[in-house]
Amino acid sequence: MKRFPFTAWDAGRRAMPLLSRLKGRGLIIGVPWFWLGLFFLLPFLFVLKISLAEPALAQPPYTDLIEVIGDGLVSISLNFGNYVLLWDDPLYRGALFGSIQIAAVSTLVCLLLGYPMAYAIARAPSHWRLPLLMLVILPFWTSFLIRVYAWIGILKGNGLLNNFLLWTGLIDQPLEILHTPLAVYIGIVYSYLPFVVLPLYATLIRLDLTLLEAAADLGCRPWKQFLLITLPLSLPGVIAGGMLVFIPVVGEFVIPDLLGGPDTLMIGKLMWTEFFSNKDWPLASSLAAVLLVVLIVPFVALRHFEQKAGEEQP
Amino acid sequence: MPNPRIFKPEEPWQAPEGEPIIRIENVSKRFGDFYAVDDVSLHIHAGEFFSLLGPSGCGKTTLLRMLAGFEIPTEGRIFIDGQDMTAVAPYERSVNMMFQSYALFPHMNVADNIAFGLKQEGMPKAERETRVAEMLSLVQIEKLASRKPHQLSGGQRQRVALARALAKHPKILLLDEPLGALDKKLREQTQFELVNIQERLGITFIVVTHDQEEAMTMSSRIALMRDGRVEQVDPPRRLYEYPASRYAADFIGSVNLLEGFVLSQEDNRVLVRSEEAGIDLEVIHSHPLIAGTPVTLAVRPEKVRLQNAESSLPNRLRGVIKEIAYLGDVSIYHVELPTGKRIQFTQSNIQALAEQPLTWDEEVELGWPANSCGVLEQ
Amino acid sequence: MKTLYPRIKTLALALSLTAAAQASAQELHVYNWSDYIAEDTVANFEQQTGIDVVYDVYDSNEVAEAKLLAGQSGYDLVFPTARPFADRHIQAGLYQKLDKSKLDRWDNLDPVILESLTDIDPGNQYLVPYMWGTTGIGYNVDKVKAILGDDMPLDTWRLVFDPEIVAKLSECGVALMDDATEVFVAARAYLGKPVDDFSRDAVAEAADVVSAVRPHIRYFHSSQYINDLANGDICVAHGYSGDVLQARDRADEADNGVSVAYAVPSEGAVVWTDVMVIPADAPNPEAAHQFINYLLDPAVIAPITDYVAYANANAAAEALIDPEIRADAGIYPPAETREKLLVLKTPSEREIRDMNRAWTRVKTGQ
Repeated sequence: MKRFPFTAWDAGRRAMPLLSRLKGRGLIIGVPWFWLGLFFLLPFLFVLKISLAEPALAQPPYTDLIEVIGDGLVSISLNFGNYVLLWDDPLYRGALFGSIQIAAVSTLVCLLLGYPMAYAIARAPSHWRLPLLMLVILPFWTSFLIRVYAWIGILKGNGLLNNFLLWTGLIDQPLEILHTPLAVYIGIVYSYLPFVVLPLYATLIRLDLTLLEAAADLGCRPWKQFLLITLPLSLPGVIAGGMLVFIPVVGEFVIPDLLGGPDTLMIGKLMWTEFFSNKDWPLASSLAAVLLVVLIVPFVALRHFEQKAGEEQP
Repeated sequence: MPNPRIFKPEEPWQAPEGEPIIRIENVSKRFGDFYAVDDVSLHIHAGEFFSLLGPSGCGKTTLLRMLAGFEIPTEGRIFIDGQDMTAVAPYERSVNMMFQSYALFPHMNVADNIAFGLKQEGMPKAERETRVAEMLSLVQIEKLASRKPHQLSGGQRQRVALARALAKHPKILLLDEPLGALDKKLREQTQFELVNIQERLGITFIVVTHDQEEAMTMSSRIALMRDGRVEQVDPPRRLYEYPASRYAADFIGSVNLLEGFVLSQEDNRVLVRSEEAGIDLEVIHSHPLIAGTPVTLAVRPEKVRLQNAESSLPNRLRGVIKEIAYLGDVSIYHVELPTGKRIQFTQSNIQALAEQPLTWDEEVELGWPANSCGVLEQ
Repeated sequence: MKTLYPRIKTLALALSLTAAAQASAQELHVYNWSDYIAEDTVANFEQQTGIDVVYDVYDSNEVAEAKLLAGQSGYDLVFPTARPFADRHIQAGLYQKLDKSKLDRWDNLDPVILESLTDIDPGNQYLVPYMWGTTGIGYNVDKVKAILGDDMPLDTWRLVFDPEIVAKLSECGVALMDDATEVFVAARAYLGKPVDDFSRDAVAEAADVVSAVRPHIRYFHSSQYINDLANGDICVAHGYSGDVLQARDRADEADNGVSVAYAVPSEGAVVWTDVMVIPADAPNPEAAHQFINYLLDPAVIAPITDYVAYANANAAAEALIDPEIRADAGIYPPAETREKLLVLKTPSEREIRDMNRAWTRVKTGQ
């Protein structure tokens, strides 16, 4: 990512008269802030507000925080009980931990599979790169749901995979894959792999190959060239790709619900239950708020790293 | 060899028994149908500052990359220190290279960049640190050791690249346009530093450059390349004074070229009739020439002098000054002969002030000594 | 209750930002379960009345409920299950009262069914019964008999709750519904305990029953069993009567050697009723009344029963129903079976939450 160098930024700010700065720059910076405020902050505040209410049999099914009791008296009642419950109840902690664990393992597997793919594409002859990238992107043209359903057909007891393995004689009993954690991992890794491959490809294709020649020239063998040069320099891509997998997978609902077994406990599923089955919108909202906070930590770390990397490769 | 000159006997390439440190034998490199390097043979000796000079696309960088091991010759062989290195991987060669882009590792600081090669060969830490310090002081950037490459100026990066390439004490250092990215003033200053370092360390330098001035300043010998082939290999002075071809004469500095044919040859004194000059010209040339052979005479502008009453130079030509270019230290004059041919000559401006200055449309008489002129056979 | 497609499709519906378009006088927005109407029902209504029907479908009560609770759903007519959904919706004020002057076919409705709704809807002011059915056990006749022997009675909850039996059956696959209330009520019926007790202790007892068999349960899902029963991928499923019968019909059509049967367990099974309601904020209640009245026509509702394999609440339609459907004990249970049917009491909100959270724990083995 090309970043505006901060020094030039500051110099420009000093040089520009205050008024025109407010007009021109303020307007341009204001647009993304406005966007973030309208479509991120505001909805989040709604969620936060609901998380502090109590469920009620009403429309909408939660209490108002602010109530006019009459005589100009206003009562504000904030209910932090949901957050206490989330902390106290091992179910929610377990779900959060389970989600993070599944997301972490999936991210790792995606990176292990996606890195060689991205590397191969970036090093392929230039007329091959576009078709290869298209092959990575092509599955997106089919609905995500249909692709996950297809995995049911592949993994189930008398599905494609088992029938194939039975036919080859490798197994004599169908393997139990569907409705196991393995199926969840297969589904997640399959669905999210392109999100790793694309940013990795973008960093690897930008890598200056003379750096590898320089390393070779200084006596560095190919494998060490990769470890000492390619890998550290592609770290921004690794982190970007990793976050693109990790963050959505923590909240993933569809894949574990369709491919997972009953013991696949993920936070997305719990939120579904709280929202739909229990009509407990406040608790579902506090789950969402906690999840957001948990996810913001790695995201901020990513930004920090990217910024550092951006300075290194001006 | 035309026109032998006296060389210092210690010049390594003149000792027939000396084993060259690099032998390039009939090396060609083909990319598809295109010959980037076409049947090149060169011997380079230990301690030389050898330049590969030529315009872009002449194959000089490809040749250098074959020495580094990044390209493998399509034909021919390369010997380094007597060993056949034609197809040896770059990481197994004892040569190091300084890249045109410097190729500094952006994620490592200066000291780590310099130590990189040493780490690869497993040098103990203490020794490595001593070596890095030595290199930092060699290129005078001791204070920059902990900076990252993006925090350095262009000149500082160039020094880091040099220090990194020298850190392993290679016998041979390959430099690809080492000064190409520097501005003119820094470039001139650095040229001398490079030569100093090379002489101090006694390492063989092989430099690729497109800048003839740079090659002339630094090199012990220059290989002038064109279209994948070597046109001429000679020390700078000889390359300048006695270019072997019109291409060589034209590429290095400016030159007056006069077409003609041989009238006669007595000993090494040759008389050439040139219609362009309008007179017969006298040159010294030892190589036997048959009368009637078409030749081109090459005279450097600074060899051409103004005639006056006392001087008795041969090759007298009269003409009118048409252009004057004032360059500060010297001025270049374009003199038009009655035949229409223009001759350039330069004059130091100290002289110009002492005498009556030359002006436009002034008629002058020019001449040059018979031994200041090269003879280029077709 | 009726589910055909896995719940996930409904999620997409629930999340879709496009609420039903603004209704005009000539538009009626209907929100019904998927595959819960005959193929030509809507088209015929449009032809008769000239009203355009915008017909949306859902696959779970929860999704429909979430839309109603959020408000401004834009729907004129919805088909929730009476207990516990319509019950609490009435309490939350989500519906408007019916104008019976516009429902001249009201008397066609089965008075017994109407009477059964009066505890949650006194005077039948809000709810119009549509279809009803039971939740019982679907099984693969040949496989289950091969494992358990011919003597074992199959109309019992032991098929899904007795650890010994479920362990035996687990190799051919046992599935439970993913529905806390349905499963816990069935588990309490299996224990012979009162099914209308939703106290924490009662829920814990039921949860223990499920926990004991959980390792042998292939999955918890409220619709997937239809396909899997029909294909022979599982051999026992806890499910809705109509869905199991649909699996039976599919297996028959595929002629794959799988024969599926439905049983109402002798310990007692839940009987449920789906009702038609008009949301309080319905844009076109007039058209909604017309559509209800249209569905009260015996000639309209009988073919729907023939098509969806659920019993309707229209007493006047009985004679018009396909005799084969009418005689199917799975759809119209005989008198002795009816005695075993249990009407669900609506748990309180707190009880539902406790039950659902206990359910999540049981399923995940936490």
